[in-house]
Amino acid sequence: MKILKYSDVTPHNIYLNRRKFVEALGLTSLAFVATPTTAKQSYSTSAKPNTIDEITNYNNFYEFGTSKTDPAKYAQSLTTDPWEITFEGVSQNKKKFDLAEILKGKTLQERIYRLRCVEGWSMVIPWIGFPLHDLINELEVNSNAKFVAFETVYRPTEMRGQKRATLDWPYREGLTMKEALHPLTFIATGLYGKELPNQNGAPFRLVVPWKYGFKSIKSITKISFIEEQPYTTWSSENPREYGFYSNVNPNVDHPRWSQATERVIGEGLFGERRKTELFNGYIEEVGDLYKGMDLKKYY
Amino acid sequence: MASSSLFRSLPISLLYCILLIPIPLYFYWGTVNQLGPDPLRSLEHKYGELGLIFLLVTLSISPLFKYAKINLVRYRRCIGLVAFYYIVSHICVYFFLDIGLSIDILLSDLQKRYYIIAGFFAFITLIPLALTSNNFALRKLNIKTWNKIHSFVYIAIILSIFHFILMSKTWTVELYFYTGITIFILILKIKSTKLYKKLSTYSNADISK
Repeated sequence: MKILKYSDVTPHNIYLNRRKFVEALGLTSLAFVATPTTAKQSYSTSAKPNTIDEITNYNNFYEFGTSKTDPAKYAQSLTTDPWEITFEGVSQNKKKFDLAEILKGKTLQERIYRLRCVEGWSMVIPWIGFPLHDLINELEVNSNAKFVAFETVYRPTEMRGQKRATLDWPYREGLTMKEALHPLTFIATGLYGKELPNQNGAPFRLVVPWKYGFKSIKSITKISFIEEQPYTTWSSENPREYGFYSNVNPNVDHPRWSQATERVIGEGLFGERRKTELFNGYIEEVGDLYKGMDLKKYY
Repeated sequence: MASSSLFRSLPISLLYCILLIPIPLYFYWGTVNQLGPDPLRSLEHKYGELGLIFLLVTLSISPLFKYAKINLVRYRRCIGLVAFYYIVSHICVYFFLDIGLSIDILLSDLQKRYYIIAGFFAFITLIPLALTSNNFALRKLNIKTWNKIHSFVYIAIILSIFHFILMSKTWTVELYFYTGITIFILILKIKSTKLYKKLSTYSNADISK
């Protein structure tokens, strides 16, 4: 199997555009590349991150196919520049923003987060981006909003997996307003100090480290602030198996497999399984959000 | 028919070697990290998928002879046993590497997880077939008994496909493909049963009246 390099999987023009992208942020590319290794955020885990090859060649991104290697093969066909994001449930007149406008003035930071997939494996990923609340605070969000709904771009011509009805496209996910405003909830635009590769959800994706990976929706084009709990793809596909909350929880099994342990990607064929932690180890940070909640009922 | 004579001249022992090579080869690739970021799942799936493929090939041999006059009957035992060895390897990866020899996990999987239950019974069903796939058993057993034992393979393939469907998150292309082939083989089998023939002669008789 050919292991793809970052430069192999990024369209050349986008790769070159990185410089422009970095300049737009008011950073020199050197500072941008240097930041991640030095300034570790307090929210980051001290665990050793997976390699870029592992992170970019083992992806669940059904828009490009159901196999874990499909996204690395086919995600280059997605145009990520220009990129527009539409907001609903906001009272301001301007509701459509170019990604560059959103990123303007935001300080990018690195967050090394654990990612626990509902399938029973985990990785450690050094994301680059900013907390979602930085963005929400800039918007005039309707005061009655209780949930945030996210939508992935729907472009079957560029996303070959969307030509088949594997899932009810476009992919949709959601959070409660409280979850969305939590300082751990992150928008990633980069990985390993570089621009986010397409297969990892470029150019703009959500990262919610205490929830199963499928909650962290990729390639977002629409964000709505709403009163009712939104439609979410996997929990609608199979409500018995995937809940709206989908917090990582070793005590609540998936109906078809145990969630008590996880395979650590990168540990090789003889690697030992890791004990899965409640809220993926972020219990101190997010435990309060679910105080008194029956986690077996609201899985 | 050049291909057909090639098949005829292929010694069985060589066929075993060729078909079984992927077992040590994939294992070796797994140990040297050539099976992608998740070598365990990759190895487990490869063995399982090849087991399913060889099981389907075994089941295709009799319809191939009947409908296409391609005679691979003398390779059937070999391919069937190869399927069994892949399934044993698949289960070994699950037991030794995936669940790390944990009897607790095994027992809880066998109580709770439908896909593991289906897979387990598919394997159990195949054991008597593997044990009687030799000349000694053929000589010792009454041919009717032997045939009966070997018709269990249809139960095994149904359980194997359920094992695959139940562990999948969505209906992938592979899943449609293998399920389709299985259904096709089963339809051909049902059409060749005595009961089906009897019923169809009855209904034909009805029509002609």
